[in-house]
This record gives sequence, C-alpha cells and structure tokens, in this order.
Amino acid sequence: MIVAGRSGGEGVRLVLEAEEAMLLSELADQVDSVLLLGEADDPALGRLLPSAYPDDAPAAHEFARYTRDSLVDGKRQAAQRVRDATVVDDGDDAVVQIELDQSEAWGWLTFLTDLRLILAERVGVIEEGDTTADETRDDYLRAAYEWAGFVQGSMLEVLDPTDG
Amino acid sequence: MTATLEQLDTETTVRVVAEEPWCTVVWDDPVNLMTYVSYVFRSYFGYSREKAERLMLKVHTEGRAIVATGNREAMERHVEAMHGYGLQATVSRAEP
Repeated sequence: MIVAGRSGGEGVRLVLEAEEAMLLSELADQVDSVLLLGEADDPALGRLLPSAYPDDAPAAHEFARYTRDSLVDGKRQAAQRVRDATVVDDGDDAVVQIELDQSEAWGWLTFLTDLRLILAERVGVIEEGDTTADETRDDYLRAAYEWAGFVQGSMLEVLDPTDG
Repeated sequence: MTATLEQLDTETTVRVVAEEPWCTVVWDDPVNLMTYVSYVFRSYFGYSREKAERLMLKVHTEGRAIVATGNREAMERHVEAMHGYGLQATVSRAEP
C-alpha cells in the first residue's frame, strides 16, 4: 500500500494492492454489520457508542436516545464509503487507486478508528481465558488491527505533517 | 408540610438560576493513535497544535483530560462529536 499526498493540494492518495483492497472492503462490510445488527450488549458496540454519563443512567439513556441514530448513521456511511471505494471485481488483480479530499479522508480516519475499536474488543474477549479460542482467527484479527493502525498513521503523516 | 415544600421550591429555583458549568472529558483508550487524538482536538475544537498535544498527552498520561467547559448542551454536542470520531468521552459537572 502506498499513502501519499495529492498533487492537486489537500487530501491523500492511496494505492492498494487488489488483496489489500479486498481485505479492507470485507472489514468495512463487517463494521457496517456490527453497527446494523449489533446486539445492545455487544461490547464492541459499547466501544463505538460509549455512555456519555457513566454515573447517571437516566441521563445516559436520554443522551443515547437523542444521539444514537445519527452517530450510527454517520459511522455506517463512513464504513460503506470505504467498502464501496475498495470493491474489486473477482479475478481483477490491478492496483486500486483512491483519491480523498480532506473531508473524505476524515471518513476514512474515523472508519479506521471504529474498525480498530471493534477488533481490539474481539481480540480482548478471546484473550480473557477462552481456551477454545480459534488462534488462526485471533492472529487474523491482530494482523488486521495492526494494519489498520499503520494505514491510519500513514494517512495522518500526510494530512498532518509534524515537521514544518 | 407547606413550609417544607416552599423551602424545596426555593432551593430548586436557586439551583436552576445559578450557572453551573459542565465539562467534556476525554478518556484514555489504548486503541487510538496519539497523532489521531491530537488531530481531532485541533480540527474539531480549533485548538493550536501546542494545546491539542498538551491535552492529548494529559489524556495519555493521566487517563483523562477536560477538553472543554461550558453549558450542558454545548458539552453534550462536543461529546456526541467525540463519539463520532471514536474517542471515549463523557459529560460531567465541572469541579469547582
């Protein structure tokens, strides 16, 4: 994967191998599914939509009632845009080039954050003493978590250079 | 009975009239990249790089930081925005 600046100005340009694009597309679809189908007690959903008032249940409930739908919509839209931008046709192994302006890049940054929150929760759950945990699945989630962090970090270096 | 009720009413009125500041607290989360948290503080709140990084480091080292204070409605808007960015944020009364 190549993460670079855009010749035309602000924003970021991504070049993904077909395999990377497929992986990202699949992960984005999973994030969308967690938001759409997640049970209320899914801890991953709790990471994406934390309580605004941990010590005041009625206030927390009220806050969630007013904000939850639009937060879920925003997060689902971000995930769907990433999914749609990274769709690769079967058998097509050409690289995928994606140009994002500043606002589109924010959608990717927040999606990558949500993705990492979910993956961290899933891996963490496995770590807590489930001896029947599927180690292959665990490794896959960990690798995806690290990779999403690498992509986000690379994007931030382009969008927000610290030197100069 | 009547006297007690009147007294309670007075107290309620006083509490509503008094300006009670609230704050937006962002909590540490090992998942989020430090560069991301700092970039969110600058982009959303319009803070300088220096202020954003100081707040981000406070979150990182102390576990939490107050990133804004004001009336309750404004703080709820900020917390909603922080949740949109994937940060762990809560609304609480500002400590005197």
